[in-house]
Amino acid sequence: MALNKKERKNTELKVALAGNPNSGKTTMFNELTGSRQHVGNWPGVTVEKKTGSAFYQDYSLEVIDLPGTYSLGAYSEDEVVARDFLTTGDYDIVLNIINSANLDRNLYFTVQLLEMGVDLIAVLNMADEAEKKGIKIDKKQLSQLLGIPVVETVASRGRGIESLLEQTVKNRDLSETALKLDYGSEVENLITEVVSMLKKFEFTQNINQRWAAVKLIEHDPEAVKLLEREIGISKAKKVKSLIAERELKAEDDFDNIIIDKKYEFINKVIEESVDRPEADQEPENVSDKIDAVITNKYLGIPIFMAVMWSIFKFTFTVGDPLIGYIEAFFETAGVWIGSIMAGAGVSPLVTSFVTDGIIGGVGSVLVFIPNIFLLFLAIGILEDSGYMSRAAYVMDKVMSKLGLHGKSFIPMIVGFGCNIPGIMATRTLDSKRDRLISILINPLMSCSARLPVYVVFAGALFPDHASTVVFSLYALGIVMAVIMAGIFNKILFKGERSHFVMELPPYRVPTLKGVFIHMWEKVGAFIKKAGTIIFSVVVLIWVLANLPLGVEYASAQSLIGQFGQLVSPIFEPLGFGNWQAASSLVFGILAKEVVVGTLGVVYAAGEGGLRTALQTNFTPLAAYSFLTMVLLYTPCVAALGAVKTETNSWKWTIFSAAYLFVLAWIVSFVIYQGGMLIGIGI
Amino acid sequence: MPLAMLRKGETACIKEIVGGRTAKGKLNDLGFVNGKMVTVHSSSGGPLIIGLGDNRIAIGRGMAHKVIVDTKGCEN
Repeated sequence: MALNKKERKNTELKVALAGNPNSGKTTMFNELTGSRQHVGNWPGVTVEKKTGSAFYQDYSLEVIDLPGTYSLGAYSEDEVVARDFLTTGDYDIVLNIINSANLDRNLYFTVQLLEMGVDLIAVLNMADEAEKKGIKIDKKQLSQLLGIPVVETVASRGRGIESLLEQTVKNRDLSETALKLDYGSEVENLITEVVSMLKKFEFTQNINQRWAAVKLIEHDPEAVKLLEREIGISKAKKVKSLIAERELKAEDDFDNIIIDKKYEFINKVIEESVDRPEADQEPENVSDKIDAVITNKYLGIPIFMAVMWSIFKFTFTVGDPLIGYIEAFFETAGVWIGSIMAGAGVSPLVTSFVTDGIIGGVGSVLVFIPNIFLLFLAIGILEDSGYMSRAAYVMDKVMSKLGLHGKSFIPMIVGFGCNIPGIMATRTLDSKRDRLISILINPLMSCSARLPVYVVFAGALFPDHASTVVFSLYALGIVMAVIMAGIFNKILFKGERSHFVMELPPYRVPTLKGVFIHMWEKVGAFIKKAGTIIFSVVVLIWVLANLPLGVEYASAQSLIGQFGQLVSPIFEPLGFGNWQAASSLVFGILAKEVVVGTLGVVYAAGEGGLRTALQTNFTPLAAYSFLTMVLLYTPCVAALGAVKTETNSWKWTIFSAAYLFVLAWIVSFVIYQGGMLIGIGI
Repeated sequence: MPLAMLRKGETACIKEIVGGRTAKGKLNDLGFVNGKMVTVHSSSGGPLIIGLGDNRIAIGRGMAHKVIVDTKGCEN
């Protein structure tokens, strides 16, 4: 299995984590690798690939976190990724993370791995939860029955990690023979025939032949595709017709027999190695009691709204004073550095570059670190606590009216952090149509990059109602998403209903470590973005504000001023026809924070900084109209890139950029002109 | 009868999963297998919440129609 093992040193190991969602896989990954993590993409797809490193004695381990899957059935892109990696991947050993309190279902995946011939260690994680439920697992017996090493752990408390590492290193050259289940004479005969056919047609030897045969008998589409690729369509047809012919004669469906036999085997294993109190008595547990309230028919949606509202309240009330400090820091730094540079005889142009350009532009974005930090803290807690799937359940009623189901709501919540992972998260939806609609509406979820713009404007123009104004924008985004989903559902796509089944994991207290790792990753990305793309754009704008040579800084005659005046007529009917606003929107497509960065640079010259400049240049109504525009208009280039990779179509990418701009313009127009009509535009 | 027709609090045994390969496969993955007991924890118009051992699973009405159950239990 380990393809490139020879290229690795004796003290280097490549280890993959595989297992069901909610088995504590990510917690285990965090526990093993700590902060030594790297997030990338799997080749060819945008499924997130997490790798990290761990050390044990003299050994260094490269740890790969595979997407969580229930089986190797390959129903969604995640599962295909996990399966491709496991069949042809390059690793020494797989750690199969198993939720000990939920053995039946977790072992279903383990058995599939074993049949495929994967070399693995069974990691009985969440051993404490199993103990609490009175489940006793005889590790020795289980290890013998499955023919693999078994380790017990509690990743959330760091228990058993040492012995897991020890076992991993010890079993690095493990070579297990693939598990052979007896599927009964009818299926077995067919398997033998298919295997010999595969051999005759020279099917790849990299894959366990028996496993491939079973998958073909199950009509697994990925297996069929692989077969066609490997031996050609005409020969593949012969294999398929052999299977079809047998199926006609058989009494029961082969897939049914195969699934039943797997569970039969698992039940036998559990019977012989696990001691648990009265099976299936499932007493009302704490999660059920919480669910009775949270998923209640009438309370569910109000509770969801309340949760969202408190997240924003939290982000603002805690963030505001911190923002004040950072703001004060940058202001003092600007004045101080400015005076030092002037004193040292540095040319005014360079001084302006540092104070107006870098500090005014990048500083005005960096001020929002506390908000970003708190927002992702809240989203992290929401994700880890198990509430996310309840929100999806509760929203199913609304979503199903739009032809989507509740699961489509999860990418939308993720989009509040950033639309790129939001768009990526749509890959868990199995219907193409649901996926496309979800991708198209995701940018309407107000991402954290837009937050700085709201906060700056709300602070300047609605000081007494800042958080209400910001919350209303988030709500407007959701409402527009719902409306657009309804429209897309009606006119663009019809038919093709998808299946809604989703696990509701038990509620858990999020681990500090997990939430903080998640948060640092996001805040780090924000700072990196500020240092790279935002910095470059701000520099560009500063240059444009100083050209042509000799022009007054950031005046209407500067290049940026002329450019802004060129596009500003488009925004005139929306209440912000000034060139500063217009150019900030155009550059904002590079990254939404740039809207603030640009305004920071072009208004830096004025007295009293950005806040005063906004108060003189925008009426409250115009400001709200501007914020609506920022909320709804064309997504940033990175998000458009994600749309392109996910839809694999320029048509949909361009469509998404265009429809959002038109929508934003119309809504802003209605708000501004409507406001003027009823006389609140002063 | 289909699982979708059970009322809140009722318990039944899964007898058969009907439907296409994808639907069946997804249900199997989440533990809906012949001979398992299921309990309805919530049924209020939208998706049902089903107890399958210690697992709680939200399942749409359409999918719940594909799970054929017997309220008399698994012994017959």
